[in-house]
Amino acid sequence: MGILFTRMFSSVFGNKEARILVLGLDNAGKTTILYRLQMGEVVSTIPTIGFNVETVQYNNIKFQVWDLGGQTSIRPYWRCYFPNTQAVIYVVDSSDTDRIGIAKEEFHAILEEEELKGAIVLIFANKQDLPGALDDAAVTEALELHKIKNRQWSIFKTCAVKGEGLYEGLDWLSNTLKSGGS
Amino acid sequence: MFSLFYGLYKYMFSKTEFHVLILGIDKAGKTTLLEKLKTVYSNSEGLPHDRIVPTVGLNIGRLEVSNSKLVFWDLGGQIGLRSIWEKYYEEAHAVVYVIDAACPSRFEDAKSALEKVLRHDDLRGAPLLVLANKQDLPDAVTAEELGRYLDLKKLDERVYMFEAVSAYDGLGIKGSLEWLVEAMERSKRTETLRLRAGMAGPGV
Repeated sequence: MGILFTRMFSSVFGNKEARILVLGLDNAGKTTILYRLQMGEVVSTIPTIGFNVETVQYNNIKFQVWDLGGQTSIRPYWRCYFPNTQAVIYVVDSSDTDRIGIAKEEFHAILEEEELKGAIVLIFANKQDLPGALDDAAVTEALELHKIKNRQWSIFKTCAVKGEGLYEGLDWLSNTLKSGGS
Repeated sequence: MFSLFYGLYKYMFSKTEFHVLILGIDKAGKTTLLEKLKTVYSNSEGLPHDRIVPTVGLNIGRLEVSNSKLVFWDLGGQIGLRSIWEKYYEEAHAVVYVIDAACPSRFEDAKSALEKVLRHDDLRGAPLLVLANKQDLPDAVTAEELGRYLDLKKLDERVYMFEAVSAYDGLGIKGSLEWLVEAMERSKRTETLRLRAGMAGPGV
């Protein structure tokens, strides 16, 4: 535990670099979010097979953001990227009510992972511009976020194509990482 | 043999972690309080108040107060988010309820939210600390006035205290926290939670 904190301390204060994983089901908007943050614009994306990794500089923290492909067949490989992760951004398509149950299961499976025990969790309730999108309270309920009792979490309503909510989320991330994480 | 078990029991006992819920309506100052607590009770500096944003989720603080380990759960207070409060009740040892004492127009909202908290079965017997926060502001009402206003019924069996504090400059924080730790140590609920967690002593 001490080692973990030392490592977090040096990674947050020392080099001011944090490793962030962006996870979520396919078509949640992970890649759009990554490039919106990195370039400030919307790029047209294709389903990610494998990963995209970019560095985003914000609030004096260098976020190394890993966007991992979300399709069922490649989700098992997420695990390879878990070590040394300070935070997980979990992206949910708020308008995809059919699959929110699956999103919940994948989410809680991730939280069980030993190597992510110290990671804080940021949830993006994405695609708020689409009709029928669940709001933050409803996504909180659907993902059963209340089951998280030993780490910090926060949820933000986002619309990646308009860039709304993303930086509020990053503000929370950088504040929380600076004040010592979980 | 008995003393061995007793020692073990004592060991378990002293390791008890108290879970403290920080509740209150939005803008009451819950997160500011938590960050102040971090500054007062740990080596790390809490977030400065101007960097605190409305909480939509859970903030956690692990601190040692009067030789006890406390885990603070600070939950968002906006109206849509209050529904998750109750999911944390079962495991909470005590509740800190924060009220903006300088904002009388929202006392009614604060009162009804608090009454709802106290009605919940999962919080039976949990000590309650009501903080009349923002005493640094000139028009803040005192803890007594706030207590009169809230006029809480059915508090007789519950251990509770009203205290005037300022999470901004730290006024009253230490005294109230010491009271809270003592109340939790004496509370029957702490015993119940420990038993439920399977940490019963020998001969049970």
